[in-house]
Amino acid sequence: MRRLTAVIQAIGFATYKEWAAFRSHMAASLLVGPVMFLVQVFIWKAIYEGHDTLNGLTYQQMLTYYGVASLIHYISFDFADWNLQMLVRSGKFVTFALRPLPHWLFALAQKIGHRSLAIWVEVLPVLLLFIFVFDVNMQPAAPGWALLSIVFSFLMNFMVNYCVGLTAFWLIRAEGIRRVFLLLKDICAGVFIPLSFFPEVLQKILFFLPFQFITYLPTRVYGGEYELAGIHLTLAQAVGLQAVAVVVTALTMTLLYNAAMRRFTGVGV
Amino acid sequence: MREGLFGAVIRTKFAEQMAYRSHFIISVIMLVIGDLVVPLVTLLVYKSGASFPGWTMHEALLIQAVFALSKGVAFPIFFGMVGTTLGHVREGTFDLLLLRPRPVMLMAMITGFDPDDFGRLFSGTVLFVYALSGMAMPGGESWLQFGLLFLASVTMLCAVSLFLSGMLFRWVGSSRVFDIFDAFTSFGMYPGTIFSKSMQNVLTYVLPVGLIAFVPAEALLGRSGWEGLWALLPAAGFLLLGMVYWNRMLRGYTSAGG
Repeated sequence: MRRLTAVIQAIGFATYKEWAAFRSHMAASLLVGPVMFLVQVFIWKAIYEGHDTLNGLTYQQMLTYYGVASLIHYISFDFADWNLQMLVRSGKFVTFALRPLPHWLFALAQKIGHRSLAIWVEVLPVLLLFIFVFDVNMQPAAPGWALLSIVFSFLMNFMVNYCVGLTAFWLIRAEGIRRVFLLLKDICAGVFIPLSFFPEVLQKILFFLPFQFITYLPTRVYGGEYELAGIHLTLAQAVGLQAVAVVVTALTMTLLYNAAMRRFTGVGV
Repeated sequence: MREGLFGAVIRTKFAEQMAYRSHFIISVIMLVIGDLVVPLVTLLVYKSGASFPGWTMHEALLIQAVFALSKGVAFPIFFGMVGTTLGHVREGTFDLLLLRPRPVMLMAMITGFDPDDFGRLFSGTVLFVYALSGMAMPGGESWLQFGLLFLASVTMLCAVSLFLSGMLFRWVGSSRVFDIFDAFTSFGMYPGTIFSKSMQNVLTYVLPVGLIAFVPAEALLGRSGWEGLWALLPAAGFLLLGMVYWNRMLRGYTSAGG
């Protein structure tokens, strides 16, 4: 276990150093995030004219929703799918197949390093901008549950994306599938609009899909209350449900990974 | 000769896509779905009983339809040059475009031709027809004004692609330019009247993203008269500025040889 931790730490640190050289790439979020948020401020200010609440959310709660969703996006941002598909397509995956470490663990360690850098380049500055420029209430209702939920969101996003990346072992060029899936994932996760705006039937379906655990659930947990499809959960129940979803997704990912390894062929492997 | 060049590039690009047919079809579907996300949000907002003050759902959707249509024309033809510049400058292969016996800007533009992006025309048309079905059919004058302003809209997107592409000669390999584009143009997907007066001025005169969809849609709705055609001027000016900027940035390009 100690060796494994050391390996994850070493890979994470190398990734951190590597990306620190391209920190302006990440720092673009300091422009993109607030501009996107400003658009949301204008949109919802106009929409809320004459309304106190919409689908159970006040104007201030709606701004908090988008603010928290943005931060969760920066924390759990992931491109494991793109990376894996590139490795498979270019044949470079063979170097990972020979290593005494499953590739998914290597990719997870890379993500930890990459997102650690994002904490101070993207997350903290954007958080401060939301608080001091846009005057948004970004204080979590229950910091412990919020933190735990964001950690689960981080893992969930990685595993869902990694499963998408694994399709590269069966498809010749899986980029199109990847882009469709990721877009649907964002829609079903509540990135564009809270899921409570969807029709009742769709909300019931979305409740059972894994995507709400990436954005919608952690964002609502951060705000202190969770409701979807008429189902109200306490914070403990919501985070517990998220933990179960993470375990199920981890099992699915492991099964898919093993099947992919059996299918993989490369020079000398 | 120029026609031959365009024809050859377009044929090659289509042939390249046909080698991965399923990928091509899925990419087109993805672009169609992608363009329908913001209209979906608008639809859900209106279904929940709220609205953009002074705008019916169909009118708000018309703005987003015009946006998609404009992208459907501009993206396959002009916007590919952003990706081309990004890739070639990072790889150090931009020199190959410099060596060809044609204007570099033209080469960057046509080698970036992307047939996938025509999918946006489909989503834009579907949305456009749907939006028009919920309102009185505009008169001939409105259509004429719309046609001219749509030209300004496509011109604006062409200018934006020149700015983004030019930026990549210095900001090497940064794919975040696409995010910057999405962030700033998202102002243009909604009725301009929801923004504050100062912001409306910025979106009209400083960073005229309102020209991409809001101004042409207003003309089609008969909300602006012939004086609305002033928008053609800033669009032309922006394009000129984009060309100058691109060429200046190109001069700053240093390849592997320095």
